[in-house]
Order: sequence, then C-alpha cells, then structure tokens
Amino acid sequence: MAIDRKHIAWVVAAVAVAAVPLSFFGPEGLRMLVIGLLMLAGPGTALVLYIRLGSAGTDGTDDADGAGAHRSAAQSTLPLAISIAVASSLALSTIVATAMVFARMWSPPVAVLVLSLITLLLLALGAKRFPVSAAGAS
Amino acid sequence: MALAALAATALALGIWSLLSVDTARIGGTGLVEAVPPAFFVAIFLSLTGFVATLNLRRHTPVLLATQVLVLVVILHAADPIVHGLPRLTASYRHLGVADYIASSGQLDTSLDAYFNWPGFFSFLGLLSGATGVGDLMGIATWAPLGMNLLLLAPLLALARRLTSHPRQAWAGVWLFYLASWVGQDYLAPQAYAFLLLVTLVACLLSAFSGWAWPTGSNRFTRFLAHHVTKLDPTVPHQGMSSPPPVDTAILLVISAGLLVAMTASHQLTPFAAIPILTVFLLSGRLRMPSLPILAVVLSSGWLVFVASDFFDGHLTQLFGSFGDVEGHTLGVVTQRVGGSDAHVLVVYTRLAEVAMVWLLAALGAFMAHRRRTAWLTAALGALAPLTLIPGQPYGGELLLRLYLFSLPFAACLAVLTLLPDRPGGPGWRRAFALLVMGSVLASATVVSRYGNDSMEKFTPDEISLVNQLYATAPDGSVLIEVVHDTPWKFQKYADYDYRALLLAEPRPGAGPLSCDPADRIAQQSGAYLIVTTSQKRAADLLETTPPGDIDRFIATCGSSPGWSKLFENAGGVVFHIQGAGNGN
Repeated sequence: MAIDRKHIAWVVAAVAVAAVPLSFFGPEGLRMLVIGLLMLAGPGTALVLYIRLGSAGTDGTDDADGAGAHRSAAQSTLPLAISIAVASSLALSTIVATAMVFARMWSPPVAVLVLSLITLLLLALGAKRFPVSAAGAS
Repeated sequence: MALAALAATALALGIWSLLSVDTARIGGTGLVEAVPPAFFVAIFLSLTGFVATLNLRRHTPVLLATQVLVLVVILHAADPIVHGLPRLTASYRHLGVADYIASSGQLDTSLDAYFNWPGFFSFLGLLSGATGVGDLMGIATWAPLGMNLLLLAPLLALARRLTSHPRQAWAGVWLFYLASWVGQDYLAPQAYAFLLLVTLVACLLSAFSGWAWPTGSNRFTRFLAHHVTKLDPTVPHQGMSSPPPVDTAILLVISAGLLVAMTASHQLTPFAAIPILTVFLLSGRLRMPSLPILAVVLSSGWLVFVASDFFDGHLTQLFGSFGDVEGHTLGVVTQRVGGSDAHVLVVYTRLAEVAMVWLLAALGAFMAHRRRTAWLTAALGALAPLTLIPGQPYGGELLLRLYLFSLPFAACLAVLTLLPDRPGGPGWRRAFALLVMGSVLASATVVSRYGNDSMEKFTPDEISLVNQLYATAPDGSVLIEVVHDTPWKFQKYADYDYRALLLAEPRPGAGPLSCDPADRIAQQSGAYLIVTTSQKRAADLLETTPPGDIDRFIATCGSSPGWSKLFENAGGVVFHIQGAGNGN
C-alpha cells in the first residue's frame, strides 16, 4: 500500500510540474490531458495522501474468504478517498478561477501555477508526515 | 471470468447498437423508436451480469464496478455515441458563458443569471484558457458519460454509509443509474454541483457521524436521541472511526471548500444541502452544527450580496409564489402533461418511474425498520430536499431537481426490499426479482431519459448554419429564433441581441404564427431570423404551434417584403429582415 502511495505521489508531482510550462505552450491534446488531470484530481489526490481517513466502523464484513479487516477497511475507504480527491480538486480549481474573475486578475497560467504549488506543497507535507520507512503503517 | 465476458459482450453490443441507430427514425417518444433490438439485449445482459455478480458467494467489488460501468456506458452515453454533439440548447449556452469568461476574464452580471453564479463557468474558462483549447464542444458532448463516471465513487461512498452491507450499497448505486432519467448530467453547473453535494454528504456521514451535543443534556436532545434509536437502532454505528484531529480539521476545511464551490456555481444545489445537513444534524449523523449554518450563510449571503444584480431584479420571481405548494407541484406537473400524444406518453412514463422508485423506497424503509437494519439516514436524506417545495417552482423544474437530489438516498432504500441484511449473496429468487426490477426501470429510463431526443439533439448541419450566421451578422445585430431550441450562443455570447418568438413549451389551442412579431423586432435596425429542424420538431412535439405551422411561416413570411433568404441547408434556414433604419 505504501508503495502505491509513493507511486501515486510521484505521478501527481509529475503532473503538477509538467502543467506549469504546458499552461504556456505545447500541443493542445497534451495540454488538455495534463492540465485537465491537474484540475480534476491533482491537489485533491495530494490532500488525500496527506490525511488518514478513518477505517470502516461497523461496515458489514462480506468476504467469504475472511481476508481480514485490513483489506475490508481499504475497500471501504477507497471510494471516499477517490471522491474527496476529485471533488476537492474541482472545488479548489473553481475557487481559484472564480477568485481571479472577481479580482479582475484573470490569468490561467497563474491559476495553474497556484494549483501546482498547492499540490506539490501537500505532497511534500504528506511525505514528511508519512515517510516511506513507515511503509507498513499505511 | 464468465461474468467479465458477459460485461464485455454487453458493452460491445450496446455500443454497436447505438452506433447503428438511424437518427431519422427518432420520433415523438425519442430514441426508443430508433434503437435496434440488440440495444435492449445489451441492457439485459448488463443487468444479468450485475445481478449474477452480486449473487456470487464472494463479494467482488472490482467486478461489480465493471458491471456498473458497463451499464453507465450503455444507458447514459447514448447522446455522444449516437449524435456526436452536445444535447440541449443549454449545453451550448454554457459553452458560450465559459468562452466569454475565458476570453475576457470578466463577468457581465447584467447579461443573465449565469454570471451571478460563475464558479463552474470560471472553471471551464480556466480549463480553456490554460490549455489553449478554445472549443470545448468535445467535452460538452461527452459530459453525460463523464459526469456519471465521476459520480460512481461518491455514490458508492455515500451508499456505504446508508446501508448495512456492501452488496446493498452496490445495488443502491446500480439502481441510481437505472432510475436517473432527469438528464441533468450534461455540461452544466447543476451536474457539477450535484457531484460536489454527493461527495460532501458522503464525507460528512463518514467522518463526522454522531451527535453534535450530549444526548442527555435536556428534554429536546433526549427526545431526539430516544426516537432516533427507537426508529433505527443502527444509527449510532453507521459512521467510520474518527480520523485524527489534524485530519478532522482538514476534512472540515474540505467540506467548507465544497460548499463554497457549490455556492459559487449553482443557485439551487446549496439550498438543497441545507435541509439535508440539518436533518442529519438532528438525527445524530452529523456532529458539526457549523456546517448547516455555513450552508445557510453561504447560499443566502451569495444570493443577497454577490448575486445582488440578479437578486434585486428578480424579487418577485424568487419570492412571489412562496408557500404555493400546490402550484409548485400539481400545477407544474399539469403544465408538463401536454403536447403531442407521444410526448404525453413520455411524461407519463416519467411520472410512473418516479412513483415506482418512491414506492419501492417507502417499502424498503418499512421493511428495514421491521428488520431493525439501517434505513433512517437514507429516508431522511430522501425526504429532506422536498422541504424546498414551498420556496419557488424554479422555472417549473423544481420537482425534477428534487427527484435527482433524493435519488441517491431513495435508491439505497429501494434495494432493501430485496437484499438481505446478512453477508453473502441475496440468493437466486431475490436476484431474479432484482433483475425484473432493474429491467423495468431500465426500459422506462430509455423512454423517460431520451423521450425528448427529437428536439434535444442537434445535427452538424444546424451547427454549420449557426456558424454561417455568426460569420455574416455584424456584432450588435438582433438574432431571432422562432422557437427557443437553437444550438447557438456557444460563442459570441454577449455580441448579439438574442431573441425568441416562442418558448419551447406546450401552448394548447395556439393559433398560427404570424410574421408581425419578427417584423416588430426587426422594425428599427433589422434582424436575422433562424429556423432549424430542431425548432420545428420541438414545435410539433410540444404543440407549441399548430402542426406544420413553422413550414407555413417560412413560406409565407420568407416571401414578404423586406425578408431575404441568406442561406439554407438540411439543418434549417436563415433570413435577413430589413429594418426601417439603416437596413442592416
């Protein structure tokens, strides 16, 4: 699981870094893919990697093979983690864009830079909070 | 393996049958007239695959997710696969608002309500501006599929908090997609805000479940706790274990952020969040009283202070019919039961589907109460949005929206009629009943969701006609559509004075359309008038005009003095009407 977290964090960081130059130039398709991904799930995924969602309380255990509470808890929180990653990314992108419009400071590349910096900051904080050496803890 | 193959077969068959639709055969009852029988076979295979997966001895979330995704593609991706263009005129308007913001970075709150709730459009403008993709038509085309796919995780996270067992949750999500016919999943602020709302509620029920106050502190709190526990003894155990304090604070900030983005994007959704959060607070499912209060402050504050231009100019519209429950319910439904016989059939199908879902939900709640399993949170969530009914009719669309807000909760209740409260599959008899229920709902949804397809779909010829009009008409011109059903405004949103002679709605006993209204509009400085095939279909379907009257209008008015035909194609015709002033 920790390996998964590490890989996800690297992918998100790569998207965040790549989005900044792509907000100025590059092939349209690639710009849409990378910046779209950042706005759809970048900061939110970093946020979800930073926090620990509680484990399932009294969810019905429904594994006939009795694979254990750990997998059950992970399965239970995965939909919530994905939901929060997506919704909070969308919300943050919306808030940044709307604030720029109201402040009459419209600049899409600056907005992308802000989103990228927030993403990278959260990833760094997450790495500090849950270092890889504590792999099994996650 | 066999079930995965079944899903693949259903997907391939579904896509193939949608690709082979002859759009010319789409008539008054919509897409159902034009899809080949293989489409229904694909749906049935998909339903069978899900039910069989649900009935496996071992719970298999990945396979269940696959089966649900296949259903979503078959049932909710027909628009992009069949037509390859965005559905509904509103999709095009939304593109235009986003284009205006992307190109100017400004808001013009006097133009229309969209600019008073610009969150979603600013988001689209940011996407367009940052990627250099000026034309978001492709995203608008595939939005219904994208929105439904994005909804899967939040719906499942929510359903897990409303039901006692994972299989019930999966069945609830499946039923949501089967009964989600309202079509508010196009590129629209309401679709976006609904996604945020479902996520918000799932997050709160997961991380902040519990009483906000000591349950024995006074008579009121004792009364609440006693009755909640009596009605549903599982309520105190339905949340997840509390996250650490730092994470709790972060989740609270996230929840507030979702509320802010929702409020900035859509008029109605944050107001729907208020009663939902309030009932959860009063039933021991939300221990943060600050969140319902924040929802009230944000939505009211935005309406009064940020959307002040809209608020000042629409006081009568906002509050004029406050308390008229009958007018907002029966009155609106009666208005909608009109138009051609085919359209009335579609409306009745919708009503029947809503009735079926609500009856099943009520039955599910009753049975769950008897079995002492989780039901109260879902029932409260389903009923809470209905408290908005006395407010205002929301342009006649309130009931549609309330059905959508209630559906994630109602679907979780409805499946309780058939799914047991024990681990393991439901058994073949219950699975068969579930398959029958799913088949009825899916068949109804093909009619109810795509019943207006003949007037809500557009063709490349119509888009081409609008582009020609934009290339010809100078900025500031008056552009007239005969019936309000034209795929325009996706660019040059504020550059023209857009007018409509008739709204796309039933007009019982309407007389023939005369040339005078258009001549009057064009009297001063001229105008351009566009008639499209979609306008004609809308007029015929809704009986906005007498049958064939638009063709007569074109023939009669088109040959009038001052009218000249500029261009024509299979999608429609554009006229220029000479004005008395500069002849422009």
